[in-house]
Order: sequence, then structure tokens, then C-alpha cells
Amino acid sequence: MALNVFLEQIGAPIPAVPTLVVAGALTRSGQLSVTAVMLFSVAASLLADWIWFLLGRRYGYRVLRVLCRLSLSPDSCVRDTEAKFERWGMKSLLVAKFVPGFSTVAPPLAGAGGRSTVEFLIYDGLGAAIWAGAAVAAGRAFHRAIHVVLQRIEDLGGWALLFLGSMLALVIVFKWWQRRRFIMMLRMSRISVDELKAMLDSGRTPVVLDVRTPSARKHDPRRIPTAIVANQEQIEERVRDLKPDEEIILYCT
Amino acid sequence: MARKLIDEGFTLVRPLAGGLDAWVDAGYDVEAA
Repeated sequence: MALNVFLEQIGAPIPAVPTLVVAGALTRSGQLSVTAVMLFSVAASLLADWIWFLLGRRYGYRVLRVLCRLSLSPDSCVRDTEAKFERWGMKSLLVAKFVPGFSTVAPPLAGAGGRSTVEFLIYDGLGAAIWAGAAVAAGRAFHRAIHVVLQRIEDLGGWALLFLGSMLALVIVFKWWQRRRFIMMLRMSRISVDELKAMLDSGRTPVVLDVRTPSARKHDPRRIPTAIVANQEQIEERVRDLKPDEEIILYCT
Repeated sequence: MARKLIDEGFTLVRPLAGGLDAWVDAGYDVEAA
């Protein structure tokens, strides 16, 4: 269970909530201790998050690109997560684990943003306790139904495990395919820095939008010549007067 | 962001490969904010 929590928090696409719910049900029947389940879950989550926090602090925003590659959810784009983190600050760590894609990206963001280690550990630890506590509480509340399901799985033996494994594999393959399709679409249309430089030098000036978040721009205030700053909230205003066939180049960090 | 603009009807939206870091690493000029 602790390993499952650690793997999910480190970025592997293995959900830990089902394991925590089952662990919660087992605490109700006395097969596991609630204290041990909570302590191990919070410790495993905190350890994984702390590793990302330290990597964020050491390598800055570059580490977020690695996370983007690991994540199987295209919607959990680092940029969106960054915007959420900026809006809510460290308090966002209290609920980060309930928001898909946010939980793994928030710790390195806190590290890259130079937040205090003690503050990070307090908020992240509380967030992990709320998250694990909710799953364990759900397991305790529905322990009868969970025991019935576990009994069925035991009766079915290897077939049930094969079925559950296949379902998990299908979900992972589907998410991977979705992400790959999105990345392929972006790759096909991406422009290289050399192409953009040649365009600017030739006098052909596309609309260059700096879509980094305020904290990323604070971290590195430089920008590409002619670039216009456009936050997520400002993007519609920035492009309002543009023609549909106008060339737009976007860049992040 | 690119997807949002494409959804709004812009046909020539292109993300810069490597972002600002790649631009700086290539040694091209940057402007101060």
C-alpha cells in the first residue's frame, strides 16, 4: 500500500485510492491498524513529494517537462497546474491530491518557486493526511460491500485478478493513446527556434505570444523580441483583433 | 493554450519547440521585460 502511494505520487499511472479504500475496509475488521495505514500512507506520499520538491528547487522549471512526459493526462498540462498553484499558493497542497494531474506537479512547482521546506512539508503532509484519510474513511464506511467484492475476487481466483489487471492496462493504454495523439498533433505544427529567428529576420512577423505564467516570467523576465505577454485570462483579449489565418507562435519556458 | 486558440478558429497556431529556454540556448537575442 505504501509502495502504491509512493509510486502514484512519484508520477507512475497506478492509482492508490482503491488500495487505500480496501486498506480502510480492512482496518474496520481489525486486519490492519488505522494508525499504521495513515502513517505509512502519509510518509510514502510525503517522501515522493519531497523528492519532487527538491528536484524542483535544484533544476527549476526544467523538471516540469519531465513530469509532462510521465503524465498520461494531457489535460493536466503543467501550465494549467502552474496557474492553479499561483492562484491558491501553498494552500493548494491541501487539496492537490484530489485534483487529477495537480498532485505530482504541485511539489516541484513549490520547489521551483523557492518556497520554504518547512512550509511545504506542513501543507503537503496535511494534504496527504486529508487525502489518505478520506479514502480510508470511505473504506471504513463501505467495508461490508468491499468485503463482499474481495470475497468474490477470492472465489474467482486468478480470473478476477486477470480481469482487474486487464481493465487497468486498458485505461493506461487509452490515456497513453490520447496523449500520444495530442503530442503528435502539436509536434506536426511546432516551429523550431531557428525557423522563428529566420522569420523575424526576414521581416515576416508572426504574432509571438509569451504564455508563461507570472511566476515563470518573474523567474526569468527576458522574452523573445516582439513577444506579447498573454496570461491564460488575457489570451482572448490579446487575439480578439487577429484574423483567423494570422500566424501565431506560442512559447512557454 | 494552443488547443484553445485552434478551437477558437485560428488556423496557424504553432508552439515554439523548446520554448524560451531553447531560444536562449541557441544564443538568440532576448528583450528585457
